[in-house]
Amino acid sequence: MLILVVDDDALAGEMTAAVLEDQGHQVIQAEDAVSAMEQLNEHPGIELIVSDMNMPLVSGVELFRELREQGKKLPFILLTGDDPAVASAQEPALDACIMKDFSLDETLPQAIAQVLAGYN
Amino acid sequence: MALDIRKFIQRFIEEARDHLSNMGEGLAALEQGGGDAELINGLFRSAHTIKGSSRMLKLVPVTETAHSLEDLLSALREQRVSASPGVCSLLYQGVDALTDLVEQLTNNPDPAALTPVNSQLCQALKAAAEEQQLLSVEPAASASVPEVIVAPEVVQEASNPALRTSDTVRIRLSKLEELIKLMGEVVSSHAGFRELVDTARQLDRRGQLEGRGELPAAWHQFTRNLRETVIAQEDLMQELHDKALQMRMLPLNIVFEPASRLVRDLARSLGKQVECRIRGAEIELDRQMIDQLADPVIHLLRNALDHGIETPEARQAKGKPSQGLVSLSARQDGGWVELEISDDGAGISLEAIRSKALKKELVTPEQLETMSDQEVMDLIFLPGFSTSAMITELSGRGVGMDVVKRSIVDGLQGVISMHSTPGEGSRFVLRLPLSLAMMRVLLVQSAGHQVGFTAQYVAELISMPETALINVADRNAVIIRNEFVPVVNLAELIGLPALPEERRLLPRTEKDLLLLVTRVHHEKLALVVDELLDERDLVIKQLPEHLRDRPMIAGMVTTGHNRLVSLLHVPCLMDMARRSRQPSAVSATTAKTEKQRRILVVDDSLNTREIERDVLEAWGYQVTLAENGQDGLDKALADDFDAVLTDVEMPVMDGFTLTARLRQDERYSNRPIVIITSREKESDRRRGIEVGADAYIVKGSFDQNSLVDTLRVLLD
Repeated sequence: MLILVVDDDALAGEMTAAVLEDQGHQVIQAEDAVSAMEQLNEHPGIELIVSDMNMPLVSGVELFRELREQGKKLPFILLTGDDPAVASAQEPALDACIMKDFSLDETLPQAIAQVLAGYN
Repeated sequence: MALDIRKFIQRFIEEARDHLSNMGEGLAALEQGGGDAELINGLFRSAHTIKGSSRMLKLVPVTETAHSLEDLLSALREQRVSASPGVCSLLYQGVDALTDLVEQLTNNPDPAALTPVNSQLCQALKAAAEEQQLLSVEPAASASVPEVIVAPEVVQEASNPALRTSDTVRIRLSKLEELIKLMGEVVSSHAGFRELVDTARQLDRRGQLEGRGELPAAWHQFTRNLRETVIAQEDLMQELHDKALQMRMLPLNIVFEPASRLVRDLARSLGKQVECRIRGAEIELDRQMIDQLADPVIHLLRNALDHGIETPEARQAKGKPSQGLVSLSARQDGGWVELEISDDGAGISLEAIRSKALKKELVTPEQLETMSDQEVMDLIFLPGFSTSAMITELSGRGVGMDVVKRSIVDGLQGVISMHSTPGEGSRFVLRLPLSLAMMRVLLVQSAGHQVGFTAQYVAELISMPETALINVADRNAVIIRNEFVPVVNLAELIGLPALPEERRLLPRTEKDLLLLVTRVHHEKLALVVDELLDERDLVIKQLPEHLRDRPMIAGMVTTGHNRLVSLLHVPCLMDMARRSRQPSAVSATTAKTEKQRRILVVDDSLNTREIERDVLEAWGYQVTLAENGQDGLDKALADDFDAVLTDVEMPVMDGFTLTARLRQDERYSNRPIVIITSREKESDRRRGIEVGADAYIVKGSFDQNSLVDTLRVLLD
């Protein structure tokens, strides 16, 4: 599956990508919301978006809302360094919201499985 | 774990370092009041990113510290808290704690090996983020509270940036001291080997004389091998010792950085606007010196802020920018480092110094009359000069400039001088050796005793026939390149009892005097010594604690045979030499004749001025000194002198020009002007007469009677 990872911290983005690639996925990275949009246009095959919450200018939640406004209905998983409950409350329409920590290699694949199950 | 995410730790270290260094800069800007939203946002983002990526790597202490830092920065961003000094200090401590953790990771990339989080610091950060009411209502109290909470080791880490760079090993300072001390002992004891080589060579020479054969030849070969080995060993050891000393060197930043913070804090408390500019903070000095340097530097900065920089209103009234400038700069010059502390404040007027010195009875009006501008300036370093009346609580601390001078000159073996221009500011220059542990030393013999001199005070060593001595004003002097230099016998000056002469390998046969010409600033003193024994880099040992208050001995060195030799402290010898001739000067000034003739003496050499003054005063003249032609001209025109004595070669304006200019003034068109110079050429003499001098005396043939006779003839 082709997944778009959006994170302004290149290191965190690469670690997320490593987790996904380890699961057999293909990853495209973007460092902010603007380049995320460009990547989406360029790669129509993207099936899922994993985005960081806290980014300069446009946050993860704002990116999500923008996508939905434009009618893009791709599954969207939000990663956050803070309490995921806060972000979920802020935007209940998010498909999943998980804590960005050292257990990401377990939580992220789980979340993807759940989200995809919901879409199918 | 399917994925070994830990391979990302190296990446994390690199990125965290970048973030932390950005945060350091950001905090400095924040502290200086540049707290715009973008800056705080940048700080917040850095903390946030470190928190995020460290959490993914399970670096718990890093995550928690970064989180607490983020909380406080967030409060700052939302303007719930203001960037008070207390808050800034906490933020600094947070960044330092993170830096420390990241450095631990560098040495050992195992997240489990990290020291546990400093929870007191984290709590203090969080508390500061939440206690906004407290902060805004009572800034002074709340600012101090978090600083008290923080564990002391955090503060200590911050004072040691040299050990925080990458690829470092932490060593207890005491271990390093032991190593360096031991190294010093090894270097010192090596002198014994040199002596052994000498003995071996003498034996060899005797063997050669006594006969040929297998044994003398083998011995000759052995001696040569021994000598080569010892020399090679010495090179290696010297290098080892240098490297050992290098390990104790720290950047000046350790003094400069807190100093710049101090300047900002003081400026705030005084209601003055001050920019602190720093240059050369990367220059390294022996830690021993760094420790002793902090107090004098802080004292000078306090003075600059308290007395130097004016209030913004006063500055504007004078047409200066309302923000004052204090600059702290260092530059390396061979084995020396020169520190300069300057301000663009009010400066000190010579008049103020004169009247204060008189009021405090540090000098008599007569003495003051004869002092050059630089000498007047130096009065501020006298004990008792800078006390209560001039100093407020801020720069007071019960310490005067004399203590600053003492710690620079005696403690650090350095030199301090001050320059000031009223209205434009003051400048202090401190010249210091890079290390006190090892110095170039000249070993000389005087009355059978060995004594040492550190090379920084030695200008030259010259041999002169006794007849070259001239007697002026009841003391001896020599003329060295257009300058009178007083001569004293070292053994007599410091009262060395004569020892039976030791056997010498190469006794000095000539009857000439050996003069060790010492120099402190512009002042010179020639010491008569018996002979030069050695000149080399030696390890300086401090005097034991109970002898430290002896100002005459700067330290000890060990020579071969484990013999201890005292290093004489030249500034102290100069004081002694000055004191020993004081009585005659005083009696001369007190023996006033009814109608004292006033003479202006112009010469750029301090020694020459002083000697000419002493000669003239001994003959009952009243003398005023000037440092160069322009200074002389100003003083001559502002006052009224019966005669002028001038040198030729001087900075700013030479003696010929001075003479010519004086002749243009009506008052001086007929007054006696005498040129005293080392220029012997007939053309110079003619030029002297052409510009209007009444007499031309060559220093080489200087005879005080001829000067006095000449003057008497001209004046009568």
